[in-house]
Amino acid sequence: MAALPRRRRRHYFVRRKVCRFCVDPKLTIHFKDTATLKQFVTERGKIIPRRISGNCARHQRQLTRAIKQARLLALMPYVPSPPPP
Amino acid sequence: MRRYETVWVVNGDLPDEEVKSTIEKFTTIIAEQGGTLINLEEWGRKQLAYKIAGTLRGYYLCADFVGHPDTVKELERNYRIDDRVIRYLTVKKADKVDMEAVQAEIARVREAREAKAAAAPAVEEAPPAEEAPPAAAPPAAEEPPAPEAAPLTEKSPPEAAAPAPPAPAAEAPPAEPAAPETEVTPEKQEE
Repeated sequence: MAALPRRRRRHYFVRRKVCRFCVDPKLTIHFKDTATLKQFVTERGKIIPRRISGNCARHQRQLTRAIKQARLLALMPYVPSPPPP
Repeated sequence: MRRYETVWVVNGDLPDEEVKSTIEKFTTIIAEQGGTLINLEEWGRKQLAYKIAGTLRGYYLCADFVGHPDTVKELERNYRIDDRVIRYLTVKKADKVDMEAVQAEIARVREAREAKAAAAPAVEEAPPAEEAPPAAAPPAAEEPPAPEAAPLTEKSPPEAAAPAPPAPAAEAPPAEPAAPETEVTPEKQEE
């Protein structure tokens, strides 16, 4: 309970998450750039929530759209393929 | 006029001529519908993340153009008709375009392409030229990297589609190195 940021005293140090796209203007969001998009999906191919990645709402929206577009074009998997036997 | 980016994926099992003919087909459709092509990128043969139409290989092509909504409609209608196209995506990049700026950009793209075309053979010619006079003392430090770089550049293009690397390399450097690697593995697995 004490971990809630609102109640934060000195017991816990809650690291402030910042949106990486706001910090670095050179980092762009595009469905073509799968190297960047892959940083925001889990091993299972799920999109990492904003709560965890720390992205701002605007960039998270752009990011999810780009990931979904990349999936459509088979640049990224919807579900990772199982390793070959 | 709006600015669009369209990507279409051609079945990677088809021969290169088929792939090239789709380029001609769709670029003429854009032109016929009153669109202006700004840039055409060939991302080349890539491994698909999942099977489409029974194949795991796709040849990616990306066109950047200016056109009307009807241009896109007609283009996508043709994508759906053409069996060689296994996936397509058209994205609007801007609602309004400054045609002068577009013309300037077309010129810039052409220049960059010509510069690259001129540079590509020069790179291939350079290593032998350096190897020829090994007696010169100052370039001695430069000699070891040159032979190393030469086999690498010679090896990678034939494995990927040969004409692909020069064109898309300019705008998609992170995607490019991944393409040959991912492409090599499926072949090994199949064998």
